[in-house]
Amino acid sequence: MKIEGGLFAGGAVFYIAISIIYSVVSGDVVGTTVLALNGGLALIIGFYVLFTGKRIGSRPEDRLDANIDEADPNYGFFSPHSWWPLPVAAGAAITFVGLVFATWLMVIGVTVLLVAVFGWLFEYYRGDFVS
Amino acid sequence: MTILNERPITSEYAAPRAVRKERLGRTIVKWITSTDHKTIGYMYLITSMVFFSIAGVMALLMRAELARPGLQFLNNEQYNQMFTMHGTIMLFLFATPLFVGFTNILMPLHIGSPDVAFPRLNMLGYWMFLFGGMIVCAGFFTPGGAASFGWFAYAPLSNAVNSPGAGGDMWLLGLALGGLGTILGAVNFVTTIFCMRAPGMTMFRMSIFSWNALLTSILVLMAFPVLAAALIVLEVDRKFGSVVFEAANGGAVLWQHLFWFFGHPEVYILALPFFGIVSEILPVFSRKPIFGYKGLVFATIAIAGLSMAVWAHHMYVTGAVSLPFFSTMTMLIAVPTGVKFFNWLGTMWGGSLSFESPMLWAIGFLVTFLFGGLTGVLLAMPPLDFHVSDTYFVVAHFHYVVFGTVVFAMFAGFYFWWPKFTGRMLDDRLGKLHFWLAFVGFHTTFLIQHWLGVMGMPRRYVDYLDSDGFTDLNMISTVGSFILGASTLVFFYNIYKTYRTAPLVTVDDPWGWGGSLEWATSCPPPRHNFHTLPRIRSERPAFDLHHPEAADSH
Amino acid sequence: MLTTRVSAKRTKRAFHAAALAVGVVLTTAGCSGDSFLRMGMPTPITEEGSIIESLWTNSWLTAWIVGALVWGLLIYAIIRYRRRPGDGLPEQTKYNMPIEILYTVAPLVIVLVLTFFTWRDQAELTELTDRPTHTVGVVGFRWSWTFNYFEEDVYEIGTPGTRPVLYLPVDETVRFELTSPDVIHSFWVPAFLHKMDVIPGRNNKFEVTPNTLGTFAGKCTELCGADHARMLFDVKIVSRSEYEAHMQKLRDAGQTGRLDSGRSVDAAGVTS
Repeated sequence: MKIEGGLFAGGAVFYIAISIIYSVVSGDVVGTTVLALNGGLALIIGFYVLFTGKRIGSRPEDRLDANIDEADPNYGFFSPHSWWPLPVAAGAAITFVGLVFATWLMVIGVTVLLVAVFGWLFEYYRGDFVS
Repeated sequence: MTILNERPITSEYAAPRAVRKERLGRTIVKWITSTDHKTIGYMYLITSMVFFSIAGVMALLMRAELARPGLQFLNNEQYNQMFTMHGTIMLFLFATPLFVGFTNILMPLHIGSPDVAFPRLNMLGYWMFLFGGMIVCAGFFTPGGAASFGWFAYAPLSNAVNSPGAGGDMWLLGLALGGLGTILGAVNFVTTIFCMRAPGMTMFRMSIFSWNALLTSILVLMAFPVLAAALIVLEVDRKFGSVVFEAANGGAVLWQHLFWFFGHPEVYILALPFFGIVSEILPVFSRKPIFGYKGLVFATIAIAGLSMAVWAHHMYVTGAVSLPFFSTMTMLIAVPTGVKFFNWLGTMWGGSLSFESPMLWAIGFLVTFLFGGLTGVLLAMPPLDFHVSDTYFVVAHFHYVVFGTVVFAMFAGFYFWWPKFTGRMLDDRLGKLHFWLAFVGFHTTFLIQHWLGVMGMPRRYVDYLDSDGFTDLNMISTVGSFILGASTLVFFYNIYKTYRTAPLVTVDDPWGWGGSLEWATSCPPPRHNFHTLPRIRSERPAFDLHHPEAADSH
Repeated sequence: MLTTRVSAKRTKRAFHAAALAVGVVLTTAGCSGDSFLRMGMPTPITEEGSIIESLWTNSWLTAWIVGALVWGLLIYAIIRYRRRPGDGLPEQTKYNMPIEILYTVAPLVIVLVLTFFTWRDQAELTELTDRPTHTVGVVGFRWSWTFNYFEEDVYEIGTPGTRPVLYLPVDETVRFELTSPDVIHSFWVPAFLHKMDVIPGRNNKFEVTPNTLGTFAGKCTELCGADHARMLFDVKIVSRSEYEAHMQKLRDAGQTGRLDSGRSVDAAGVTS
């Protein structure tokens, strides 16, 4: 994952450098801060991706001569369909509208949101999916 | 002599058609519980087009009001709501979700993966977009009307004292909700591209569209959180009396820094995916690979990187920013953009060009975007920007770059990928009519606005004086806008006409010269995209599969 | 050979369409020869304006030349590389390093040249002299303007329905100090070719030296609410004596003192 991580790590170097140049040229606190934080974000992600890449080594998608059958045949589990994203989003929306209009709406919204988040998290560990 | 008559490509795995017609309720449930990136992508595209139409009507209302001096049918406050919501909807509820929609459908196909990394999160992003958009637009139904402080919501105009009313609050929170959805979508896309590519699909064999989708998603991760923070803090200022954006605390300039730190990358978020679409279409209709693949990738990385460092070129006239820093960075970003332009030209050069609808639209983008790019270079120069900032010159500039990129490339993408999405082709003759009406309408509307702005017409003006001498130019612009509006009707008619009656596409690649992997599976693809994947040895695996005679030194 | 005749006819039609489009643009923009270089720019009435005007026209010249070159290449490619019946696969060129380097370096050079002129001109335009001959405090408020003539200690104020008139003596440098008690406005006189934002909480300054007599329009150019489009004013550049006469008129009308936004000003007219 060298290229992927390098993209973010390079970004981190770039933004931190620009943040320093900007600070010297303009003395503006706001711009310096957002640019530095931006560099920090890139640093976190870049570091994690490079570190993980080192740990897992070369994958078939990183090799120019790889064949399709080299991929793990057990690709993983994909949710076939799900009702849960809808109530999670609805809960968030009701909460936000409650922020504008009425606190009791926020209470309802947060409740719906929490129930839906738990429903989502445990969707494939309950009912028919209990192994 | 169309591309359609050459080399149709058969697949052994063309999806069999269901003969029994499904009940409507069952179809709706299937769609709203879907975790298929393609279905979610279609929902994004359809919803974006609905918002596009709404905001388009607002534009026509504004142009109708501006055709002659004097107030005809809109009052000041309504007009301010019109341009605020037109901008907001077009940028946040049309163009950004359009990027998410196209990327959702195409990127997993391009990288050879069965779906995105987080399918349910994908759907969550859609609902957050839809609900956020509905909250923003519901401002119209409040007593004070929708937000009317411009899509930049400058402080202190946007505070509770100067813009009271729930419309503004709903604008802020609706966008925060939608923005959160976009961030989640970006997380999904980056993870998918990093972790789910097919064997042999190295980063430098990915389609240019996928590269652009990746870099756009990275920009979203960097820019949208700043927006979300600013929106929420402004809402807290409005609702709970905090004073972060108070003028006396330097809040006016603070808001601008935060907003534009998001706002400038946002326009590259809008542009890059559509540059990617054009980069996919030009090679197919030139029958040549994309010219200078690596150069294109590096240019796009340069654009994405630099775009975070130019924001205050929107703030030259505030007197509060470093003119040398921002003018230099903005000038620099013109260079990789120019490089990409020459890469596209180089793709066509020496090729064998045919001009079906997708190619017409792609060329229309090239013609239009070039002019927008040139006016952009002029706007990057503060001595010139001092005169034209906040005038119709800027309105003309950004419509040339944004409309030229987003809308022209969007329609190019629709006509190109329609058979892949639906299994039927759109009518090509209607497509050409659509293109020419839109092209003529667009340029008639916006070319003249350059002159209007330089002569002295500010933007966001509901009206102007008879003595200003703006009347004739405004009238021409209004006529153009209605031609442009009419052109969209041709598109909707095309969809309606071909919906049931166009013949089904039985081959994988009706255009014959497709390079990326979606052209190596059926029209439309099966649920998890591929029954079998071809070997990947270049950036155009489908082309290598279907045109082995062209194999050279891979 | 029907196809070649058809394609030749199509090419001719394309040229006619292009010529028609150019004609429309020319007629609507005003047929003067330098119309594409001025793009509607007003004739400047200040010394600084001539700097801006020349940078504008030279930049447009560069832009149109680059545009003509690139559009020309595009149109040439469309015509020359059109697919003809019997054509096979064209040469599958993937890259060409020399060309790619050329079209990276050439735009970079153009951009650096423009940047040099930009730096030079913006330094001159934003310069503030030590003691300008005149200072006018401009207060932008919702939805009109107040002009405070600091040296004469008189003011002028307008309403959306009655545009205030700013009087300036010709050939004398004037500094504007821009303040606002409410929201962001922007002080623009198109004939100055220059504007600056009026930001609450800031005191923005710029200087111009008007050198042409006459009456010119002024407009607010930052959205400030419902009557943004009615926040207009006029600027009259007059002779010294006419200026003195007008100041006296304001004194006689009782408009003495200053209507400012609460910022203190010392006796010499320099704002803190």
